[in-house]
Amino acid sequence: MKKFILPLIAFQLFFTSLHAQTPLPPTDKSPMDMSYYPANYPIQKINDKITEPLAARIIYSRPQKAGRTIFGGLVKYGEVWRLGANEATEIEFYKTVRLAGKKIPRGRYTLYAIVNENKWTIIINKETDTWGSFKYDMKKDLTRTDVAVQKTDTIIESLAMAFEKSVTGFNLIIGWDNIKTIVPFTL
Amino acid sequence: MKIPVLVLLVSVITFSCNNKKENGSVIEKTPARTTDTINPIKQDVSINAYAPVDISPMDMCYFPADYPILKMSNKTTAPPVARVVYSRPHLQGRTLFKDILKYGEPWRLGANEATEIDLYTDATIQGKKIKAGRYVLYCIPEQDKWTIVLNSNIDSWGLHPDASKDIARFVIPSTQTQNTIEFFTIIFQKTATGADLLMAWDNVEARLPVSF
Repeated sequence: MKKFILPLIAFQLFFTSLHAQTPLPPTDKSPMDMSYYPANYPIQKINDKITEPLAARIIYSRPQKAGRTIFGGLVKYGEVWRLGANEATEIEFYKTVRLAGKKIPRGRYTLYAIVNENKWTIIINKETDTWGSFKYDMKKDLTRTDVAVQKTDTIIESLAMAFEKSVTGFNLIIGWDNIKTIVPFTL
Repeated sequence: MKIPVLVLLVSVITFSCNNKKENGSVIEKTPARTTDTINPIKQDVSINAYAPVDISPMDMCYFPADYPILKMSNKTTAPPVARVVYSRPHLQGRTLFKDILKYGEPWRLGANEATEIDLYTDATIQGKKIKAGRYVLYCIPEQDKWTIVLNSNIDSWGLHPDASKDIARFVIPSTQTQNTIEFFTIIFQKTATGADLLMAWDNVEARLPVSF
């Protein structure tokens, strides 16, 4: 009899606790963030100080290193990585841009990477509004390009992405742990 | 000796982050934090030259709820209906309508970048047709009602919304909640005709019914 009562109590407790909780979601352990190109475009906009037309935006979640080895450890070499956490990392272009000569029409895309020791393969994929890279479908790739890996002087605790101006357009800088890569987009 | 130095360092970094991302909100110093029992935010105290982590983290909610997970697990093939991207300020010991917001003044329904709603399909709110597209969402709270505003000035910062770009305004009642909600929260809740856009913080919530 005891064998049945215990699970029953556990079951009961589980549902009572579900009821007691508010249905509202907690904040994520890996908080979401966004970056624009031009950098800080929303602040430029409300101050009437727009430096150049809106070109791109990235929305990504920011996992933390938390003492772990990231590349070659948490993020396995040679596998598709979601470049973030939770909802798939989304890059939006407000005009046509080029990546390694390939035309990318304006619109929303999902960004993935295949990380290796000396290079990352950056993937622009057409499947949006998805979760992580669990359902990554190569057939929906728009383009891929390889970028070099650079070591950083300091450890970057939270995955970070930012856009910077370049001679021919703008770069997306991605940094985490002791690694950074630069993805060059042409306008 | 080490601990005061660390505390100083943390507060300097927190303060400088606040300056950058939270200007205009009320955080001047780091007040005693009430605990978010569910999932406390860990401050990124390391120096991140590329992009410091915001004290008010961003989040998104979809309708249908958790759409990306449904899609990933092959539980839906239909396109998403709506999405909100917003930042989540937290009370940190403050009282919403005493320390943070004033009745009758526009509130950005978030923090940092203006809160945005994507309607992937046409919607109807209080009998008014709203075309599919992206809008800024803000609010003018009163004691027992909130005015929810859809505005076309997208990709802007949340402060000082430009009322000349308002698309539509909807007055909805606000009600008291039983529990205190530490982090500002927006979700969609399914209804018979579509979804309620539910906004909640501290001990107040308001629902905007949307038909799709």
